Amino acid sequence: MSETPDPDASASEPVAETSSPPEPSGPVMLRVANGPLAAPVLARVVSMVLARAACPLDRLDDALILCDAISAHAHTYSRDGHISFTLTPETNAIELRVAELGPGGASALIEDSGLPDVGNVIERFSDSRRVEPAQDGAGEELVLTLDFD
Amino acid sequence: MTPDMELSLPAQAENIALVRHAFGALGEALAVDEQLLSDMRLAITEACSNVVVHAYAGREPGPLEVDATLHDDELTVVVRDDGPGIAPHPGSPGLGLGLPLIASLSQSVELGRNEHERTEVRMTFSLSGAPHQIDPARPM
Repeated sequence: MSETPDPDASASEPVAETSSPPEPSGPVMLRVANGPLAAPVLARVVSMVLARAACPLDRLDDALILCDAISAHAHTYSRDGHISFTLTPETNAIELRVAELGPGGASALIEDSGLPDVGNVIERFSDSRRVEPAQDGAGEELVLTLDFD
Repeated sequence: MTPDMELSLPAQAENIALVRHAFGALGEALAVDEQLLSDMRLAITEACSNVVVHAYAGREPGPLEVDATLHDDELTVVVRDDGPGIAPHPGSPGLGLGLPLIASLSQSVELGRNEHERTEVRMTFSLSGAPHQIDPARPM
């Protein structure tokens, strides 16, 4: 019926040295139910998107710590038992939008991400943060960016 | 029923790997048998490959959507696109084994269009019972 592209090729191949960064691909949307799926699936998807964007390893580590912090607390503030993540690669950066948070949920999620001796993980590892009203007007979205130039 | 996991991404070949990894994480989180997880990922890969190769042929890639819903030890995976539908492709570069392979690896498979006229491949996998094995006597 079809030829099958090498399914894991982009996951395992080292990023080739090029004179210009790879073209960002389109946004990836992930929506998961609160529970055991959120943390592992988000971490895998984020690491794949960042690897394809030629993100350096240290920033990839930062992103995974950020994901752990978000998935550890986001369920507390989700509106209907699900959390949505939209990953938008940009040139030398990525935007992570956390949606389906209830009113006040985005700020509370940031406040909850403090760790002893580390500080606030979201504030420390993201390069910018903003809270936006949900498109349906029923809650909030937390928009983070990670730069890696 | 609301899916437990939904992915929506451009129907590009490199995104098939992303879907595979997401289902790898799902399988590990749900402690799915290793062989069954391998079969699931192969079937899902085939369905996603069909979308990448055929759904938007000759035009800009549209969306590839993959949903997973767990219910009573049964995982239903739906691969969806906005293409014209599933039809024979005599000029396809593949061997034509994709859909029979999906049927062989899953407990059931349904092809069609949903209420929004979007093309869907709906696969179910039983997560309980003996480890999944391919029956060599089963016709493909």
